[in-house]
Amino acid sequence: MTMTENDRLLLNAYVDGELDSAHLLEFERRLADDSALADERARIEALRGAMRERLPRETASPALRRRVAALARPRPFATNWRAGWAAMAASVAVAFAAGSLATFVAIGPGNREPVSELLVASHMRAMMASQTVDVASSDRHTVKPWFNGKLPQSPRVVDLAAQGFPLVGGRIDVIGRTPAPTLVYRIRQHVISLTALPASLRASGAIRPIDGYNVVEWTDGPLAYWAVSDLAAPELGNFAKAFRAGAAEP
Amino acid sequence: MDRGDSRTRFANVVIPHLDDAYGLARWVTGNRADAEDVVQEACLRAFRGIGGFTGGNGRAWVLTIVRNAAYDWLRKNRSPTVVHVDDLEAVERMHLTDDATPAGDNPEAALIARADEAKLEAAIASLPAVFRETLVLRDVQGLDYREIATITGVPMGTVMSRLARARGRVIAMLGADK
Repeated sequence: MTMTENDRLLLNAYVDGELDSAHLLEFERRLADDSALADERARIEALRGAMRERLPRETASPALRRRVAALARPRPFATNWRAGWAAMAASVAVAFAAGSLATFVAIGPGNREPVSELLVASHMRAMMASQTVDVASSDRHTVKPWFNGKLPQSPRVVDLAAQGFPLVGGRIDVIGRTPAPTLVYRIRQHVISLTALPASLRASGAIRPIDGYNVVEWTDGPLAYWAVSDLAAPELGNFAKAFRAGAAEP
Repeated sequence: MDRGDSRTRFANVVIPHLDDAYGLARWVTGNRADAEDVVQEACLRAFRGIGGFTGGNGRAWVLTIVRNAAYDWLRKNRSPTVVHVDDLEAVERMHLTDDATPAGDNPEAALIARADEAKLEAAIASLPAVFRETLVLRDVQGLDYREIATITGVPMGTVMSRLARARGRVIAMLGADK
């Protein structure tokens, strides 16, 4: 029996699992009767198998990966990527090996997740949304009352514009099952998410950068503050210092 | 969208598909050094255009840009006879059954199944660009017909016929190889 062009298309679609159920049944019946069709099917399957098994999976070289990643980084790293990365890695090691506590929180029965992981995810989600905040204001007297109406405990809102970190606004993240107030600050092109969580949500261990985001944590009375940003670690450290100094004032 | 947001989106949307991007560029251009240039150019375009990505299939979005960058590169760097993207009618019209292998000899399937990497590569590389990219997107990168139609900018029916032709030709080459 000769194979028509249409038969060939159907056969290929069949092998690829792209035939809809209406055609599938009829085609399988024909396949059982038509040896030419069955032979061609065997050849197509053989080709697919050989390609799958024998062709090497292409991977981008580390050099290419670095060049492309540089596009996604702020200018200083883009111009001198290697040096920038090494310096950042070193400073991260120094800043974070010293004493932060990595934290785990029970999110649900039998499900333990590092808090920093959840916070980075929240930060990333906010960055991908059209707005990083639910209340947009650089005035702390606007942002703080907004939280008051929604959460039992509102965080300190510190004006850090003079220190180079203007307030962008605030939003509420849900970390595990805990609704948490998050303040958003900005420096140059970087966004900092500062989330306040109960201080009880802490455990031992070091906080590591996650997917290029740095995380800094400190406690203030009943609250633990977590800052997440793609800002370089020393600068994020400066932000934390400025916030704590500002929060200490009456 | 400001630059900080663009960077984050770029990191989330484009970078995860870098291997796929490179794989496609490598098959379209035919060599690794050119593929790197193409991917770098494509990533630059993706970075500039990230604001236009409205969500959904990030991989298809990235591969579409890579494909376009690869063909632009080919147009600039190769003789026009190698690339037929603008004048596909003739290729598309070629009678499919011309590529057909004689029916009834299953030993051929065994021969195809045993084809080594070099033979496979050579056979695929000898395909016209649009057949090659369709075959690679399907059987190397595992995309479905709809995704391939999106990336290559043609109807599903065209994807189906290109794929059937591409496979038919490679089968004929490998099957005839003694």
